[in-house]
Amino acid sequence: MSGTLRTALARQTGPATRALRDPLVAGLVGLCLAAAAALLVAPPAPYLVNALGQLAAFAILAVSLDLVWGYLGILSLGHGLFFAIGGYVCAMHLLAHGAAVTGVLPDFVQFMGWKSLPAYWAGLDHAAYAFLLALAVAGLVAFLFGLASFRSRVNGVYFSIISQALVYVAMLLMYRNDTGLGGNNGMTGFPLLFGWPMGSPGVVTGLAVATLMALAAVLAGARLLVGSAVGRRMLACRDDETRLRTLGYSTTRLKLGIWCLSAMIAALAGILYVPQVGIINPRVLAPDLSIEIAVWVAIGGLGRLGGAVIGAVLVNGLKFWLSAAMPEAWPFILSGLVLLVVLVLPNGLLDLAGLRPTWLRAAR
Amino acid sequence: MTQLTRRGVLGTAAFLAAPALIRPAFAADTVKLGCLFSSSGTMANLEGRLNHVVRMAADEINGRGGVNGRQIEVVTSDPASDWPLYAQVGRQMLQQEKVAALFGCWTSVSRKSVLPVVEQNDGLLFYPLHFEGDENSKNVVYVNSPPASSVLPAVDYLMGPDGVGAKRFFMIGSDYVWPRTINKQLKGYWTGKGIPETAWREEYVPFGFSNFQTLVNQVRSFASQPGGQPIVVLTVVGSSIPDFLREFANQGISATDVPILGLDMVEADLEGLDTGKLVGHLNCWAYLQAAKGERNRKFLGDWASYVKAKNVPFSADTVIDPMVSAYDSVQLWALAAAKAGSFAVPEVRKAFAGLSFDDPSGYTLTMTGADNYVSRGVFIGSVNEKRGFDVLWQSPDAPKPVPFSPYG
Amino acid sequence: MADPGRRAILALWSLALACLALPATAAPFDRAALAAALCGDGAAQVRGAEGLVQAGGALPGDDLAFAGRILGALAERRLSCTAEGAVLLDRPGAPEGRDAVTDAVRPAAEARAPVLGLRQRAAVETARGMIGLLTGPDPAARAAGLAVLERRIATVPEAVFDRARDAETDPGLKSTIAGLAQAAALSSADPARRVAAIGAVAASPSGTARARLAALKGDPAYATDPAFRAAVDAGLARVGRAVAIGDALAVVYNGLSFASILFMAAAGLAIIFGLMGVINLAQGEFIMLGAYATYGVQEALRRFAPGLLDLYLVAAIPVAFGAVALVGIVVEALILRHLYRRPLMSLLATWAVSLFLVNLIRVTVGTQNLQFAMPAYVSGGVPLYADFVVTWNRLFAIGFAVVTLALTLLILRRTPLGLDIRAVTQNRDMAACLGLPTRRVDRLAFGLGSGLAGLAGVALCPIYSVNPGMGSGFIIDSFMVVVLGGVGSLAGTLVAALGVGGANVLLEPISGAVAAKVIVLVGIILFLQRRPEGLFAFRRRR
Repeated sequence: MSGTLRTALARQTGPATRALRDPLVAGLVGLCLAAAAALLVAPPAPYLVNALGQLAAFAILAVSLDLVWGYLGILSLGHGLFFAIGGYVCAMHLLAHGAAVTGVLPDFVQFMGWKSLPAYWAGLDHAAYAFLLALAVAGLVAFLFGLASFRSRVNGVYFSIISQALVYVAMLLMYRNDTGLGGNNGMTGFPLLFGWPMGSPGVVTGLAVATLMALAAVLAGARLLVGSAVGRRMLACRDDETRLRTLGYSTTRLKLGIWCLSAMIAALAGILYVPQVGIINPRVLAPDLSIEIAVWVAIGGLGRLGGAVIGAVLVNGLKFWLSAAMPEAWPFILSGLVLLVVLVLPNGLLDLAGLRPTWLRAAR
Repeated sequence: MTQLTRRGVLGTAAFLAAPALIRPAFAADTVKLGCLFSSSGTMANLEGRLNHVVRMAADEINGRGGVNGRQIEVVTSDPASDWPLYAQVGRQMLQQEKVAALFGCWTSVSRKSVLPVVEQNDGLLFYPLHFEGDENSKNVVYVNSPPASSVLPAVDYLMGPDGVGAKRFFMIGSDYVWPRTINKQLKGYWTGKGIPETAWREEYVPFGFSNFQTLVNQVRSFASQPGGQPIVVLTVVGSSIPDFLREFANQGISATDVPILGLDMVEADLEGLDTGKLVGHLNCWAYLQAAKGERNRKFLGDWASYVKAKNVPFSADTVIDPMVSAYDSVQLWALAAAKAGSFAVPEVRKAFAGLSFDDPSGYTLTMTGADNYVSRGVFIGSVNEKRGFDVLWQSPDAPKPVPFSPYG
Repeated sequence: MADPGRRAILALWSLALACLALPATAAPFDRAALAAALCGDGAAQVRGAEGLVQAGGALPGDDLAFAGRILGALAERRLSCTAEGAVLLDRPGAPEGRDAVTDAVRPAAEARAPVLGLRQRAAVETARGMIGLLTGPDPAARAAGLAVLERRIATVPEAVFDRARDAETDPGLKSTIAGLAQAAALSSADPARRVAAIGAVAASPSGTARARLAALKGDPAYATDPAFRAAVDAGLARVGRAVAIGDALAVVYNGLSFASILFMAAAGLAIIFGLMGVINLAQGEFIMLGAYATYGVQEALRRFAPGLLDLYLVAAIPVAFGAVALVGIVVEALILRHLYRRPLMSLLATWAVSLFLVNLIRVTVGTQNLQFAMPAYVSGGVPLYADFVVTWNRLFAIGFAVVTLALTLLILRRTPLGLDIRAVTQNRDMAACLGLPTRRVDRLAFGLGSGLAGLAGVALCPIYSVNPGMGSGFIIDSFMVVVLGGVGSLAGTLVAALGVGGANVLLEPISGAVAAKVIVLVGIILFLQRRPEGLFAFRRRR
């Protein structure tokens, strides 16, 4: 790892000491809270509320990837896996809850010819248990995969490729009907959320508000983390792992811890995403989607939590809008945007902000 | 720095505030119909043409003076083959555009994704594809056939003396609900006829699977075992269909040795294949382009001139079943709305009972009101040298649809 | 033994049947009756065609030729049935044609052109095969007819084979016919002929032969006649052994062919990744471009040199290699050159390139599968041993992979460029110190790697459907192969491709296609986590 990153480190270590005075993150957290309040006071059309909630869920996912990629130098091309774990467990909860209240089994269960929900669904109708289970499963999968990888020092592009293969395997498995979670069709038709009918304006607004608040909390928490002593060690590990290890730090433990945390945040994003979109299916496990998460982060600006949020919101907002307004042009715009960022703005769109003072200085 | 960032965020918010996803609609004395067909992504080549068929049908009705004195306005969108986006767009169509009915979806998963949306908003979705059945929502009109009323007659034909007297069955499908449901029902059907379990085999492949060498080897060894005439019931979808057919022909198996009943096979799947060695393989739909009759001739002519006039980016001389089903959907909706004298969904739904429409296939489509299914005819097509299908057999009348299969 | 009276009734019956089907044995062949039967319903068509086969041993040549014409027309939908009788058309749907019997020109515009059902098609195929065997102008045509009859040997009377054998002039074909005639006598009344037939059946082993012999175990003679029993058992053992060998050969062949596809998809990547550490996510799209270049060559030949059309796959080799190599060099020069110090960014950049290429092709050419003419050397196959069929398109891909491997090794081992590439791969800084233009080597190597992807595209044309999305399926498999083999080692890539291909093919019948893929991938992931450097790591400095 090399020059640019080292420069980035030099720039980063300064602000890192002034942890919560990061104006970008503070601004975004404020914006999230303000948007949440605005939704509560004067909600716009339900589908706009819903879209905003989905964007916030994507932003949480992007932040989770930025934590490991931007601050540890580990590019995971398999983060869709943890997102999907959160999503699937959430969907299982919604279906189990619905079945408990209405007494009607989900249609894929009927299709499989089962008379009741399988044993491992037990307790999933309790929201708190399902929530903890989602985080625990994501954390456990991340722990096992991370332990095996980090211990044998699988690094850089190798880690990326192997994590991509992992998410691909998971996709193949979930597409299999015999896996028992709905196969290709996945899970849909969630009737209730905490007893309220899904899709009613109150539930839609509530979900969007909750997601915005979660985004604010994740952002603030992640900022605290990267500003702490652990955060400095993360940057050191990113820039020169061997040296850090020689100095006596256990980089494996550090990486493993942050990696699991990141996976759990991604699962949180999945938990919040699924009730808003109303369906989960193996497509979220497609390797393409996982690469796209990295694209959001890179476009917004790697290694600055706010950048991940901006990238995720910008790319997905544009996608929502342009895939209808200019369906032919959207892929070209996206690929152009990526190339532009990669070639001209190595730190993402946030570089545009960095450029301005230079011009001003020149003008002066 | 912060200022510019905020501007970025505000800019994004502005994108959202714009009526996203849907091209805006204008006139006031019209009634709107919404389309949920992708024109980009993996489904584009198939779904894309249905947008145009719906427009064509609407133009035809408007030419007759519209419905209930109002002109139809078709609102299209592009869910980009992204399943959650179908739900999102559907929600917007119903809430924002106040469409009177939705026409859309090809894959089962996209229908399942839209289903809660139409149920929550009490909308009406016309679904033009044959599918796995076992579903009956009051908010969905299932315009095409469930397996019990299309696949079973075709399999019956193959088992009968006019077909090949099929005794043994090799089922190959893509691994998802539609093939699995069909195969489950077939097995139930055969069990009911006293056919032993040893007479069939069932294999599933992942989506987009293309390496069929080993499977075709297995078909050959299955075929060489004693016990009577084998057939292949093929329910793979998408690019797996031509790849399977190619390997099948290359290993020297002809339709007279082991016929394939390709349940999702349409003309588009034969593009790029030398069908000389595939002649005789079968498919089964509620409409085939080779259907006889004046109505079909007129429909083919209408489509060809529509493609030419509107510069539609699809073949002017290929018409597949879902296109006709989408056309039928609009006509059925218009008939029901006219009969009800209203566009309100509950009124329109009530008017379904006793509805009938003479569609291009030559059959008369009917709805009973007992369920939201439509009676359609059944065609069995036979692959010819020109990458098309000849009509080999067709049902004497339109069988009554059976939404919930009695066979499992 | 049947009593004389019963025998007479039987004879009468068969005569009546023959007359019904085709009054040919006694009276002269009734052409109009055949034409009418073929224009009748499905059952009549079957009766007509089967009657022809039953009578075939005795019919004069010109009647056979007549029957061949009308059956051919029926199979090709050039037979039109009017109220006045059957009309033969020049092409399907022609407004007029010649009467099948009288040869007079007659209109046929609104007439019915029967579509053959499967049972009818089988009967017609058999009849045409018989006519081909008896009247074919050259040994090839007669052998083709024989091949059709062989498939439905149970429905063909011995007289047909006898006549064909007696008339045959080609000694090879003559003995084949004799063998078949012998095998046809499996249910003969003469025990000696039966035993000989068992031997003849066992001589050409296949799953079908095994089933035919196994059925004899239920024959009363099996229990009573020890000679018969011994012959059946010996025949079964022989056939069983041969079928097992054939199946094993098929597994090896399937594994080889899948491995060759994997290898070709991965070979270019091995060079690019090994040399530059660039994860080229656009490699699949380069394969797709190679296939589209092949299509371009085909269309160009179709327009400018239709006589050479069959050679388009060969002609496409340099074109696809050159075109895709050029694309690769442009991508390298415009984009990747700036990203060598940031491998993860080059990954995103190549992803963007792949997105761009897919959509460019989608918008400019369309989403449909491309239409390729399939010359004889890549279509069909030949049964080699027992049930083992060598399909030409797969053999083409295997041969292609072998040639690609040889050429790549030649370039890497025997040319100055190869020397440079190896030097830079092993120690970039030292190579630069020694004055090697490493940037130029990078570019050429990237071009070479892309060109190899283009070649893979050529080889895939006869195997898979060609459309804009075809490349996306290869990327994970080929990365797994490269990493498993050990980065920078072409031999490792080859071994990994063989291993992965073989494992997939072996597991597929046991676990199903999906699970096979999952098992193999999980195995690779676990292996790589224990041994990240892959199978054949060779030390290098970074």
